Amino acid sequence: MTIASETRPSFAAEAQPEEFAEIDEFIDGFGRFGYVADRALATAIYLLVRLPKPLLIEGHAGVGKTEVAKVLASFLGTELIRLQCYEGLDANSALYEWNYQKQLLAIKVREKSDEPVEELERHIFGNDFLLTRPLLRSILYESSSPVLLIDEIDRADEAFEAFLLEILSEFQVTIPELGTIRAKRIPYVILTSNSTRELSDALKRRCLYHWIEYPTLEKEIQIVRVRLPGFDHELGSRAVRFVQLMRGMNLSKPPGIAETLDVSQALVLLKKNQFDPGTAEQILGCILKSADDLAKIRREGVENLLSRITP
Amino acid sequence: MKRPPIPANPRGAAEPASVLPDFQWLTGVVEFCRFASDNGLGSGLKAVIDSVRAVGIVDHGRLDAFRYALRANLCTSKREWDLFDQLFDTFWYGGRMDRPKRPIASSGDSKLEARNSQRIQLMLGHPASRESEARRKTIGGASAIDRLTKVDFSEVPQDDLAELEHLSERLLRRISFRLSRRQKLSHLRGRIDLRRTIRAGVMHGGEFLDLRYKNRISQAARLVILLDVSDSMNPYSLFLFRFAYALGKHFDRVSCFVFSTRLVNVSKTLKARDLASALRALSGITTFWSGGTKIGSSLQEFNRRFGRQMRSTNTCVLILSDGWDTGEPDALVAELKALKQRSKKLIWLNPLLGLDQYEPVTRGMRAALPYIDLFAPAHNLQSLLELERDL
Repeated sequence: MTIASETRPSFAAEAQPEEFAEIDEFIDGFGRFGYVADRALATAIYLLVRLPKPLLIEGHAGVGKTEVAKVLASFLGTELIRLQCYEGLDANSALYEWNYQKQLLAIKVREKSDEPVEELERHIFGNDFLLTRPLLRSILYESSSPVLLIDEIDRADEAFEAFLLEILSEFQVTIPELGTIRAKRIPYVILTSNSTRELSDALKRRCLYHWIEYPTLEKEIQIVRVRLPGFDHELGSRAVRFVQLMRGMNLSKPPGIAETLDVSQALVLLKKNQFDPGTAEQILGCILKSADDLAKIRREGVENLLSRITP
Repeated sequence: MKRPPIPANPRGAAEPASVLPDFQWLTGVVEFCRFASDNGLGSGLKAVIDSVRAVGIVDHGRLDAFRYALRANLCTSKREWDLFDQLFDTFWYGGRMDRPKRPIASSGDSKLEARNSQRIQLMLGHPASRESEARRKTIGGASAIDRLTKVDFSEVPQDDLAELEHLSERLLRRISFRLSRRQKLSHLRGRIDLRRTIRAGVMHGGEFLDLRYKNRISQAARLVILLDVSDSMNPYSLFLFRFAYALGKHFDRVSCFVFSTRLVNVSKTLKARDLASALRALSGITTFWSGGTKIGSSLQEFNRRFGRQMRSTNTCVLILSDGWDTGEPDALVAELKALKQRSKKLIWLNPLLGLDQYEPVTRGMRAALPYIDLFAPAHNLQSLLELERDL
């Protein structure tokens, strides 16, 4: 393991720029694909690629956790393989399955032939009949390492988590009929969680960790600007302020960045050039996703809220 | 092996040295990992090795990259994430770390503390002497077991405590056994399992003589227990926690929260191997065994922090409280309504319901009734055992 050169570990603030060109490259690259990544996130992603070690991203709903994986795949020019977790997800639907209908047909077709049973078995449990699911697909990849996104891992059961642990540490799969398959290229793994449930310590220990907080005002304005380049800056920052105000109001479903972008997009589509109470009322549905929240905001009064964000 | 000399004072300097030779840098990271591990962040050799590797890869000439690399490696949750910066600054800049206060002795109120410790003693099964013995109901003519299952928890005589505990463990275990068996018996035959049927069919040259079945994975019901531990619940909360533990033992998914004026998640304690360690863990977590009850705001906290993960199709919510609420009834109603929307069944167990003359007349309780699917007593073992039907 090479650790450092002679002059390295200096903590001096004015270090030479070329030394961390690589992390900066990630920041710039993500920016090119419309994702505003801060240095902390870029460092985590850089480590994910270089170590390599899976990265667990947690944060509130709609702060762009899933987006990280999508953008990373685009940035690295590789494929994104996504496994959406849900309650009851089992190894079969995540790893592989046999194509039963095809197997049944194959058996029927060969019924009349004198083929020995062993031959038939070899045939119908061959690659032609194998349906690969996301995890197996990520292991079979040959040309380059794909990005494997395991989305909302907290929704899956604990049993699945244990199974995943095995895959993530070995990157090999044993299919009884085919034998053991080992990954030629270790996938870059990103796991996301809304932290609705505590994940197991064993899984967490195997991962890098990053917490995405709601963005600051400046950052969110920047995000809107990057995603909607032609959008009026003044109008955009008003919209961001409005969403941020609501985010701080203790709603049952606080709006994320996704909602901010929806609002901005809506303003563009509605050809608005003013963020007045009428407009705000129109786009309220982009921000609030529950009747209780809507009632709460109505009680406060949209006009009243708007007056609070006027500089 | 010759060890490199340890730098004189790797962490004492007000500013980390601008240039550290390799070994010092390495030692620093290792020492920091040890320091972090002492404070509960990322333990184990693997964490240390990965941290060293990570720092080796990033351009650690810059403090922020150095910091972020370590943070990504050593943290595993939001709580640790928030703690990390403080630890980092303390270690590298020699700042002073505010030691977390001891959980139990956090209050300056000595009376409260006395009460706390008394409470914890009670939870650990060494009850303080009680005066209630005088009030003890006499239930004549029945066997000891029968008598004990019917005695009100608040009036258990000192001598019978051990026996009652033993009995409750036995009976509660029976509940969970029956509950788990019931689930298994309910789906005898599910859908045909094509995978295994084809596998078996190969043996008969492609004729599917024996069909294989796939049982549906029983959708384990999720149980959420909200236990009131305020002053008025004092005589009961000990037993009710045991009840919660017994349920937690055999249900796969039980979350348990205790509340008085605020809410604490104690689900982890239910996973303890035996009851004694569960109680010990509980006494370590909770710091507010007393005071008034704010059911409304506690439920609000629950809804806000944990409500979103609940789905109404399979979640059963069990509230164990006497309904004495010092908060606003309106708040309680609003939160109960929200809770009801997210749960399949809302059960409220009220120990006071065991008293003959009790009527749910407290403002909060009366307002809450329309949202409750089952309102039942929980003052003795008998009443808890009867709940089996409804879970």
